[in-house]
Order: sequence, then C-alpha cells, then structure tokens
Amino acid sequence: MKTKIISIAVICLLFISCNKNKSIVVTTDDYHAAIDNVTQIMIHDIFSPPVASRIFVYPNIAAYEVMAQNSKIYVSLQKQLNGLDSIPKLDPKIGVNQPVAALIAHMELSKQLVFSEEIVETFRDSLYQKWSDENEEEFEVSKEYGLKVAERIKKWMGKDNYKQTRTMSKFSVHASQPGRWQPTPPAYMDAIEPHWGEIRTMVLDSASQFKPIPAFPFSLDKKSPFFKEVQEVYDISKEMVKKGDNSEEIKIAQFWDCNPYVSVSQGHMMFAKKKITPGGHWMGIVKIASKKSKADFAKTVFAYTKTSIGIFEGFISCWDEKFKSNVVRPETVINQNIDENWKPLLQTPPFPEYTSGHSVVSMCSSSILTSVFGDNFAYTDDTELQFGLPKRKFASFDAAAKEAAMSRLYGGIHYKAAIVNGITLGENIGDFIVVKLKMIK
Amino acid sequence: MTILLKYLKAMNNFFRIGLASLLIVSCSKKQDQLFEKLSSEKSNITFNNQLDPSKNISILDYLYYYNGGGVALGDINNDGLVDIYFTSNQGKNKLYLNKGKNKFEDISVKAGVESQSDWNTGTVMADVNGDGYLDIYVCAVVGINGFEGQNELFINNKDNTFSESAAEYGLDLDNYSSSAAFLDYDLDGDLDMYLLNHAVHSEASFGNADVRNKRSYECGDKLFQNDNGKFVDVSEQAGIFGGANGYGLGLAVSDFNLDGYPDIYVGNDFHEDDYYYLNNGDGTFTESLKQYFGHTSRFSMGVDVADVNHDGFPDIMTLDMLPEDEKVLKSSLGDDNVQMLKFRTEKLGYHYQYTRNMLQLNQGGNHFTEVALLSGVAATDWSWSTLFGDYDQDGEQDIFVSNGIPKRPNDLDYVKYYSNDQIKTKISTTKLLDKEALKKMPKGNVSNYVFQGSKDLMFKNRSNDWIENDSIISNGSGYADIDNDGDLDVITNNLNSVASVYINTTDKTSNYLKLKLKFTGKNTFGIGTKIISYSKGKKQFKELQTTRGFQSSSEPVIHFGYGKIRKIDSLVVIWPDKTYQTLKNVTTNQTLTIKPNSSRKLFDYNKLHPVVMPVFKKVPTNLGIDFKHQENDFIDFTAQKLIPYQRSDRGPATAIGDLNGDGKEDIFFGGAKGKASQIYIQNANGFSKKTYESIEKDSVFEDVSAVIGDFNSDKINDLFVVSGNGENAQNLQDRLYIGNQLINSNFPVLRQNASVVKTFDYDNDGDLDFFIGNNSEYNRFGSSPDCYLLNNNKGTFTIVQNKTFEAIGMVTDAVFSDFNKDGKIDLIVVGEWMKPTFFANINGKFKEVTATILPEKLNGLYQSIIPFDIDTDGDQDYLVGNWGLNSKFKASQEFPMKMYYDDFDKNETFETIVAIEKKGNYYTTLGLDELAEQFSGMVKKKFHTYKSFAGKTLEEIFDPKMLEKAKLYEVHNLKSGYLRNDKGKFTFVPFSNKMQVAPITSFVKSNFDSDSKEEVFAAGNYFGVSPYHSRFDGFSGALIKNEKTIFLGNQIGINLTQKAVRHLNVINFKGKKYLLITINNKEAELYEMPSIKQ
Repeated sequence: MKTKIISIAVICLLFISCNKNKSIVVTTDDYHAAIDNVTQIMIHDIFSPPVASRIFVYPNIAAYEVMAQNSKIYVSLQKQLNGLDSIPKLDPKIGVNQPVAALIAHMELSKQLVFSEEIVETFRDSLYQKWSDENEEEFEVSKEYGLKVAERIKKWMGKDNYKQTRTMSKFSVHASQPGRWQPTPPAYMDAIEPHWGEIRTMVLDSASQFKPIPAFPFSLDKKSPFFKEVQEVYDISKEMVKKGDNSEEIKIAQFWDCNPYVSVSQGHMMFAKKKITPGGHWMGIVKIASKKSKADFAKTVFAYTKTSIGIFEGFISCWDEKFKSNVVRPETVINQNIDENWKPLLQTPPFPEYTSGHSVVSMCSSSILTSVFGDNFAYTDDTELQFGLPKRKFASFDAAAKEAAMSRLYGGIHYKAAIVNGITLGENIGDFIVVKLKMIK
Repeated sequence: MTILLKYLKAMNNFFRIGLASLLIVSCSKKQDQLFEKLSSEKSNITFNNQLDPSKNISILDYLYYYNGGGVALGDINNDGLVDIYFTSNQGKNKLYLNKGKNKFEDISVKAGVESQSDWNTGTVMADVNGDGYLDIYVCAVVGINGFEGQNELFINNKDNTFSESAAEYGLDLDNYSSSAAFLDYDLDGDLDMYLLNHAVHSEASFGNADVRNKRSYECGDKLFQNDNGKFVDVSEQAGIFGGANGYGLGLAVSDFNLDGYPDIYVGNDFHEDDYYYLNNGDGTFTESLKQYFGHTSRFSMGVDVADVNHDGFPDIMTLDMLPEDEKVLKSSLGDDNVQMLKFRTEKLGYHYQYTRNMLQLNQGGNHFTEVALLSGVAATDWSWSTLFGDYDQDGEQDIFVSNGIPKRPNDLDYVKYYSNDQIKTKISTTKLLDKEALKKMPKGNVSNYVFQGSKDLMFKNRSNDWIENDSIISNGSGYADIDNDGDLDVITNNLNSVASVYINTTDKTSNYLKLKLKFTGKNTFGIGTKIISYSKGKKQFKELQTTRGFQSSSEPVIHFGYGKIRKIDSLVVIWPDKTYQTLKNVTTNQTLTIKPNSSRKLFDYNKLHPVVMPVFKKVPTNLGIDFKHQENDFIDFTAQKLIPYQRSDRGPATAIGDLNGDGKEDIFFGGAKGKASQIYIQNANGFSKKTYESIEKDSVFEDVSAVIGDFNSDKINDLFVVSGNGENAQNLQDRLYIGNQLINSNFPVLRQNASVVKTFDYDNDGDLDFFIGNNSEYNRFGSSPDCYLLNNNKGTFTIVQNKTFEAIGMVTDAVFSDFNKDGKIDLIVVGEWMKPTFFANINGKFKEVTATILPEKLNGLYQSIIPFDIDTDGDQDYLVGNWGLNSKFKASQEFPMKMYYDDFDKNETFETIVAIEKKGNYYTTLGLDELAEQFSGMVKKKFHTYKSFAGKTLEEIFDPKMLEKAKLYEVHNLKSGYLRNDKGKFTFVPFSNKMQVAPITSFVKSNFDSDSKEEVFAAGNYFGVSPYHSRFDGFSGALIKNEKTIFLGNQIGINLTQKAVRHLNVINFKGKKYLLITINNKEAELYEMPSIKQ
C-alpha cells in the first residue's frame, strides 16, 4: 500500500518536473483572440469611436513594450511617445516568457479600460489556468513582469487628459445658426466627445499639426461650393435608389458603416443595432494581414501597436477639427432645404461633419499597414461577416482605405470635401508616424 | 359539480391554515378595502381580452399591440340595471345583461354585437338615434397589419337585440380609431361625434409640428355633425387637426371655459402635442393648447375631467408612464435631454411635454396650472385609464388609474444591450421578431392605483388598502353603480385576464346623491348637462359626459358624495340648451331622475365667472416701455452636467428712481451677457429709451440686480449695478455710475457671481451703504462665496471687514429691516441650501443671531424675502419665497434633500450629487447615464446594466467614505410661506398649496386696492431645470392681503403663467401707481393698479 502511494507521488513529481523545463507555448492566435475579445466587449459596452481607439492603443503598447525588451529587431517606444519615459527593464536571466508577459499586460490594461471587466477576467483566468498548468514558475515571473509594465503604461495613460475631458462642457446646440452642427434623427443624441481634441497625442506635436484646409463656408446659395456638395449627397443617394439594393455603392456603404450604436425605434419599442467601430474594423484587417503573411508573435504585436497608434492619433486630429469647424450634417441641411423626408442610407453619427473620421483613420491605418506588410498586399476582408455582411476583396490597404472613405458619401453622412480632406489628413498623420517612430532596428 | 369540488378543496385549505389567522386577515381586509372584486363565478362575467399569439402580430409589428380593449356601461333595456359591454382586440366583443344581485347574462350572440372587425379598440354607449335607448359604437383599427373591418354602430332594437347600422349613419369608418365621444357641440339638440384616431410611425408622422395641418384619412381625428341622422365629416371647416402625427389615445369633452359650449381635450402619444379645442359657438373650434397650458404629458394616454378643487371649473388629468418604483424608474427610458427638448420646442414647434401624469387645474377658464407632482399623482407607471369619482363619498374627487403592460419595450437594458443580439438573429433568420426577443423584455405588470382626494389639492395613494394588489394588466375602464347601492363601482377590461368588477363597499356609510337626466329632443340622456351642488358652503361641479378614462364610456349618471351631510342646500341643473332649474333642500342617499322644468329660464354663464376686486388692468401701450429681456443662449447643464438647476438665468435687474433729476421715476433694466442694459426715462407721455455711453460700453456684463440712489451725496441720483452670470469667470465686476451722465466711478474690486444688492444707511451717517449678496462661483455650483457690506464715506466705498458675512451660502435675496425692534436696521439674508439668516445690527456692527431667533431646521431653496405684517398683529413678519412643492425635489426636517459637493473624480473640477429620500432610503435624482457621463469609470465599472443600478441607494452607488469627505448641503423645507414674528422670535408658517405650484421669486408691497392697508403681490415661475422636473410655469401671481385672503392672478386680472418673473416694482406715473413686472427672456409688463372708489 505504502509503496503504491510513494510510487504515484514519484511519478507525479517526475511529471511535474518534466513539465517544468518546457516553456509555455503562446501563439499569435492567442493575441488575436485577446484583441477580438476586447472588440466584442466594446460592442456590448458601447464605446464611441474615439474612446474605442484609446481602448485599443494602450494595451497594444503595453504588449509591444514587453516584446521590445532585449529584442534584436524591435525598438522600445519609450521617449518616442509623448510622456512615455521609462519602461521597467527586463532581466533576461529570470526566465520571463515574453509573449506570455505581453498578453498579460494586454489583458490587464484592457480590463482597466472596458466596463465589462468580468468578460476580460473570464478570458484571462482560463489562460492563466492553462499557463500555470504548463509551467507555473515561468508563468509567475512572466506575470510579475507583465503586470509591472501594465502598471507603468497605466500611469502614463492616466495623464492623457481623458479624466479631465469627462468634466468638460457638452457641445452647445444653437439651432438658430443653420451652419452649425445640430443633433440628428432619429435619436437626436448629444454630440459625443466634444473635447477629444484635447487628449494628449502620442506622436504628433499637437492635435492640429496637420490641420486640414477649412471646410466650405455654409451657404444656401445653390451656386456655392457648400450647397453644391449638399446637392451632390442628395443626388447620389437618389441615383443609388434607382440602381437598387444590389448596387455597389450600397454594398460599400453598408460594409464600412462601422457605427457602434445605431438606434432604431418603432413605437415604444427601441433597439440598438451595434457594430464595431472604424478602429475595430482596422484591427480586424491587421489580423487578416498578420495571418496571411504568417507574421510571428512579435511582428503581430508590432503591427497592431503601430496601427492602433495611427488610429488614436487620427481620431484626436479629426475630432479637434470637427469641434472647431462644427459643420452641419447633410441630413439636417437636406431635410430643411431640399427634401424633408430624406434619410441617409446610414444613420448619421452624433458629431459634427468635417472631416470624415473614417477617412482619416482608414488612411492612417493603410499608410502604416503598407509600411509593415508592403504595398499591394491583396486580401479578403471578412471582418463584417458577424453582422451579416459579405466578404470584400481588396488589392491593397490603400484601396480599402479609399473605399472606406467614399462609403461616407454613399452612406449620405458626409460631403465630399470631408472625405477628400480627411484622406489627406489621414495620409499626413500615417506617413508622419511611419517616419517618426523608430520601431525596427 | 366542479364548483362544488373547488369549494370543498378551499374549505379543506381553510382549516389547514388555521381559523384564527384567517379571521384576522378577512377582518382587516373588510375594513380597509373599499373595492371588493366580484368573482367571475358569482357574476358570470368571463370576458377576457386574450391576445391571440397564432395571429403572428407582436409589439414590433404594431405599436399599440398592448393597448387593450374598452368598456361601455349603461342600461341598454331601461330596466334600471347597468349592463356591460366589453371590446376584445382580436376575439369577440361581449355584452352582459345585468340581472340584478351582481349576476350577469352573456347575450352577445343573440344581441348581435360581437363585431366583425379584426382589431377592436374603444367603445361608447350613447343614444345615437334619440329614441331613449342606448346604442353602442365600437371603434376598430383597419388597414394596417392586415386588419379588416370598420367602426360599427349597433342600434338598439329595444328588445335586447341590436342592428349594425354604421353605414346608414355615415359612421362606418375604416381607419385607425381608438375612441369616440358623442356630444352636442353645436347645441342643436342632437348628438354629434368626435372620432379619435391614432397615428402609426411613418415618415409622415415626424418632422415639424405643422404636419398636423395636413389631413390623413387613416390617422387624423374627425368631427361629425349629426344632420338628421346622417353624420357628416366637418373636421376641416370646424378647425380640427387631422395630421399623420395625431397619436390620439385620450379623449374628454367638457365645457372647460364655462361658456355653455362643450370643448374637447385630446391626449396625443409621443411627440405630438395634446389638443385643447375651445368651442367658438359657431360650429368651429380653436385649438389653444399652447396658450392655456404650460406643459402636458408626453406619452399622453387616458384623460378624465372633474372639478377637484371646488372652484366650479373642470380640471383635467392625463396619464403617462412614469414609474413610481425606483427599480423600474432607473431602468426605463426617461425624459429628453435639455438640448433635445429645446430643439423640439424651439425648432420643430412642439409644446413642452414631459413623461408623467399631469393634473391640470383649471384657473377660471383663463389658463391651467399643472400640479401632479405637488398633488402626488404624477407617477403611476404604464397607465391607461384615469377615472375621477368620489369613491368614498366624502365630497372630494378620488382617482382610479388602470395600468400595466405585458412587456416593457422601453427597458434600457433591452434597448442598449439585449436587443442587439436579437437583431443579429433576426438578420440571419426571419422577418418576424422571435419570442426570444420578447423574453428579454421585463414584465410590466403593475397593480392598479387608487388615490383618495383630500383638501388643499392633495391626493393620498390608497392603492394598497382600497383595492387588492394584483398583477393583472388593465386597460379600458369605466364607472357605474352596478349594484344600485348608490356608490360608484369600477369595471376594467383586462389584457389576457378576465375583466375585473370592483364593487364599491362604501354603501351608505357616507352619503351620496345619484342623478339621472331625462332631457328633451334627441339628446335623451342630457349629455352636456352641468350640475352644481351647494352644501354647507362647499361647491361641487359635475358635467354629464360619458367618454372618459381610456377607450371607454361610463354610466350616464352624475354622482356626488356628501360625507355626513343629509341635506343639500341647492342643486343648480344647467341643461345643454343653456336653460337651468334649481332644486332646493335635496335629501341625500337617493337616486333622482331630473326632467327639464317647463318654466326653466336661460342661464347666465357670466355668473360662473365671478370677479374679485381688485382687478389689475394690463396697459396695452406699456407706456412706451418696450423692454424685452433676451437671455443669451447658454445652458448651464452643458458645462456642469450634474447640477440640480441653472444659475445663469436669474436676470435681469430692475431699478426704479429718478435718473435725470426731473422728479419723475425712471427705470433701469439689466441686460443679459452681450446685451446692453437699458434705461427708460419718464416724460409727460410715458417712458422713452435713453442710451448712455457708459452703459452701452458695459454690455458684456450680465446685470442681475441694481439700485438707484444718491450715493455720493451730491443731490443727484446715481446707479449701482451688480453682475453675475454663472457662465464664465470674467465680467463680474460690480459697477457704480455717477451723476446725470452715469459716469463710471471707482469701486472696490468685487468680482463675485452677485445675485442681489440692497442699500441702506446702516451706520446712520447720512449716506447709503450697500449689502451685496453672492451666489456660487462660475463652474462651482455648490461653493459658498462671501457676501459684502460696503460702507459709504461721501461716495467712497470700502469693504467692511466682518467675518460674519463670509461663506453665508448661495445667497439670492436680502432685506434691511429692524427685526428685533431695537430701532436699528438689521439685515436678513436668504438663499438656496441655506436657512433665512438674521444679522442683528449692534451699534453699527452686524452679528449673526439666527440660532436664537429662528431655531428650527429651515434650510430651503429660498428666492425672495419681504417684510409684511401678514397676520395683522402689529409686528413685522417676513414672507419668504421658496421652491414650492411642485417638483421632484423632496425635503423635510426628518429627511432633508441632500447635496454633496466635492471633486469626487479628482480631476480638478467640482461636482454635485443630489439625493432625495424615498421610503427611508436616499436615491440620486439622476440616472446611470447622467452619472456615468461625469464619473464614467466610477459608476459604469460598478454597474454594467441598468437593472443592477436601478433601486440602488446613494450609499450603494457611491462609496460612503467618499461622500463623508464631501461638503454636505441640506434642504429641510421647500414651501413658501412666512416667518411669523412672536415677540421677536420667528416660526415658519407655510402658505396653502395653491401658492406652492412654482418657485416664488419676487414680492412687492404697496396699497394696491386703495383700502386702508398695504398688500403684497407675489410672482414667480422658473424654467432653469432639466426635463426631469419639467417647467415651473403655473403660478399666475398672487395678491396677499393677509394670512387668510390670497387671490390668485386669474381672480384679479393678471396671468403670469409661462412667464419667469424676476422682479416686481411699483412705479408712479402722472399720480397713478403701476405694477411693473420684469420677466426673464420676455417683454416687461405694466399693469394699472385698481382704484376702488370708496
């Protein structure tokens, strides 16, 4: 009897010690899953596009910083991003599994940033359990380091003015000024994040570093450039109706809707149709490109990080302009001056028109992704499948970004100038980041 | 057999539970429950408005899927017993013949009244053909969701059978009807009809309010004139709106302005305003809602009318869907936000609407004052039908409210979190919303409500002891004396449950009088007859209209309760043809049938509009004072999201005095930020505007208080102005303008957010000194700045150093007055979140003495103060204007309203958290979204769903330690009233409730009626609150003669409703006195004071 017990114990011990030498295996799929998890939580919790960009960027940076430690390829972002001075050093001898630590840092910061923490926790705990089973010692040191980096990033994040902008004033509606933005049907929501332009930028000197050319001045004169653009939005939508539900324009508009909260009301009955944000969509494209190019773990994290920095900077710049120019949406002008029953194909999102946010962040993303994965990177985008929308094929990131930009015109929510100048703004920011940030040795 | 078995089973249980306990239960039940439910077994009434799931229609397809059916009550065979007709949405309608002793017989099939339509709604019993027998009209929704059929008119064959004859009469409408009323609007002796239709959401039903002008056959209401038995649609020529946005759910007819012609009130759901149709007496109506009502219910459902305050004018109640229960309240969609409401009213042209029941008090036909919050009837959840009736027969109107909805589609968790998943599955599956979606919506089964009416506009919630609590959903309802015992029983049509018959057990414990009418001609039941009862000095007014509640009609009978009174002094019966007869010394506890007396005379309706002296007359020319205050476009809530009310809209200043040395009084009006203040100089013909360079230059200041006086002792008057805007930290310097040219003169640096300046020579050195009261700093609602006393030394002012004036609170008004009768002028300061504060003048130095003079806890939201001997005992009392009781704020000494003030989220800006008590716990006034907007992480991380947040107390939401560190403000009293002087000590005495309908912001004292005494005129109203409170717009002003005699504005020729009065002044012109009223964001008004020849 006794021998039996001992022998079992010995076998157990052997088994454990055997395991001990084996490092925890983490794949890029784990990282994609962590990002997907955050994307899904954001759909549930309902974060506006700018806030969503912030929820993507900090966890990615934390993960990237872990990966960049002692790396032969990647360079830390410390002293490259505004206010990010030092990252805890990693002693190569203590046996930290960097991908594990990177994921831990990512999950920890994501948890801080979303509302539904318990979903991150469930996701995290199942990984923790698995890793702990695989190699407890390695897991513990990696966790310690991952959390340390997360803590450092959190401290830096705490000074980005987000907290202050919560208390700042709401957007003031002055319906008597016809050119000024006002809430739009059907929910007439308040303008979201009127002070997002005051969030600390990471790479840009200021939110207005690449200030776009001014929007066309408001005018109801049919010959004015402003009104011509209003008429164009209206005419295109009428043409699309003629072409029918299967027109390419409708498909494009719906594919790139990326509105996190579309409110539908029917009597006392109300629904929300919720989708991913533009940032969420581009995170999906990073995943597609990483997988297709068989990028390793570090490169995957690098691609996510650089793209999400671009998107973050893009939203700050774009919002800065939006709440300086406060341009009225096509729906308001068309309803009041051309056709009171006109409705845009996409629901007008609740913030001023100029410039188009999707155009800016799509161009930022494409510039950066091109620098990471190369030009003419053809891929099939299946990000929107979950919302019942078909896959679309693209010859390059640039082609995708330009289509995303045009989708706003087809959707009836932007004038062409906001798209053209939004593309320029996005390109400027993207190229600037590509040049300015030294992430590869 | 089965019944016997059930009975035996019940007996078995009976003994098992134990005899003793059951006896106690049944005893207490008998005592308390005024209404006892009649069992189906006993009555044979088995009607159940069961929705048919097999028809594949849901709330998603049809927005009024849960609105239920109606009830029509009346004696169809003239056997003295009231019969009951129920409509079923999808099933067969039923007619129950009353066989006496609460037994009924279902005669629907042989009577031929089951209806052929696919979706039935409202129903009315009326003698449409004037043959003395009640006919039945049934409304239907036709043309949507595949519903077929038409509105049906069942003409009584006088043998318990009916013949459907709608087409013959021209009433076979096939549109979206919800209810109808038969009335004689043109007083030609026969019954006409108003048809209430409802809109459905379509592109045509949104947009500007003028959508209502474009007629829609399906959705628009219609008025039919009875032309010898043919009903002709006269809607357009009669001025009845018929637009695609008329979501008509509530309908009541009454002669609201008592001119002899019946008027119509329509309650519209959603964004469309309710309609108030005043009958012009020439066959046309004028819709006048905006003029007569300050605000209305937003999702208006049932409507009823009765005189609740014994002034002889019919008042109105409209139902909405505001939940009482915190758990439901904070998880349901609430009101619009401020900017959205502004957009809807100012841009789209709709009136002010808020999500709650409204009780509209008819003020002599001149306007309505809404008091549901004050009266305690604002929140009854998802409510359908309201029925006024004196159910306990004590002489006061009570209210029955039916309610409940199977699923709450406005549940925020459903809207924001659950619906999305459902939408996704919908995309991938079918067009129909599956049952899963509905499962996620919480139930809204709420028991019906009953309120007991009492004196002084108050209603007591009796839902727990007058009726049995159940989870049945009740829609249409009506009252009738089913068992002929004299009291009013209530019948409800229930959704997916057997109809309820509430038998009233008041019987003869309290006295009643039931009146039936037999009128001449075709209007056999005397619809439109008014009866005024006078007994022991109390007036009761009733009008016979049967369409009331919701989709239903009640018994054509007039019922009065009298308590212990055995004999009524007199009854005046005013017939629809404007003739009347009087019955004297009528004994109570009987049913009388009244027929028109052949010698009856024409009634003079002017008698119902008594004129009280004195009467103020509005001066149409305003004597040239064309001042219009324009508030600048600024919403405080955009900057400080959590504050309880605004600060930036307390102007303009008004000051009276001779500015050009001609001995005549001139006027200074302050301007809002960006508008120069204005001066009107008096001349021989009136007043004319004069500009001063110095004043024009200072237009950036928002001037809220000012005084005119000779401040530098050069015998020429000067002007002193204080500024406070609440909008930014600039342009707040108080300014002194000297001499005829009003030259800017030196003044100490004072840049507080000022609210009041008062001047007096407190140190008796022969010149005028200032007291300046200040309110919270810009962007720091809740801070308590210092106030200042400035000593005048030959035109040079210096701040008197005195700690007693530091951080007094959020000051709004002050008065120099000798409250301790020591011959020296003292100072009293009032303000918000503070107590009236007394400063005694002790040899020229002020010392706070409140604790000894006014010991009780008396913090309020005070707005104004004036000395006045209201109890005429020879000493000085002080009237104090407070917030009033007509808001969602709640305060008492036991449970004060609380406001915590701190930088809770540590971001260098200060926030406020306001909480009020409900059932012993404190709850935030704001909901999850509003709190999360400010404290995003702090609350959203803690509460992921609305359900988890709703019902949580203040301490469960916020860390008590955090609250403890904050500065705490309290309010114990919201009532306006007076501080009664009892030998130098003061106690607070509240005014009656008619004075508590809005904040009282200003007083002025004068001898208004040229008698031997002075009176005080009081005015108020305030709109700087979020839609959560609605608007305080119903105070018409009041003349306070003494503690017992107070006349409201409508009695003395003044209507200040819907006007936010800031200042009242008396001004002399050509030897006559005028009352000058300064109003925020409106034109100033001038009234000639009454001069009574003695």
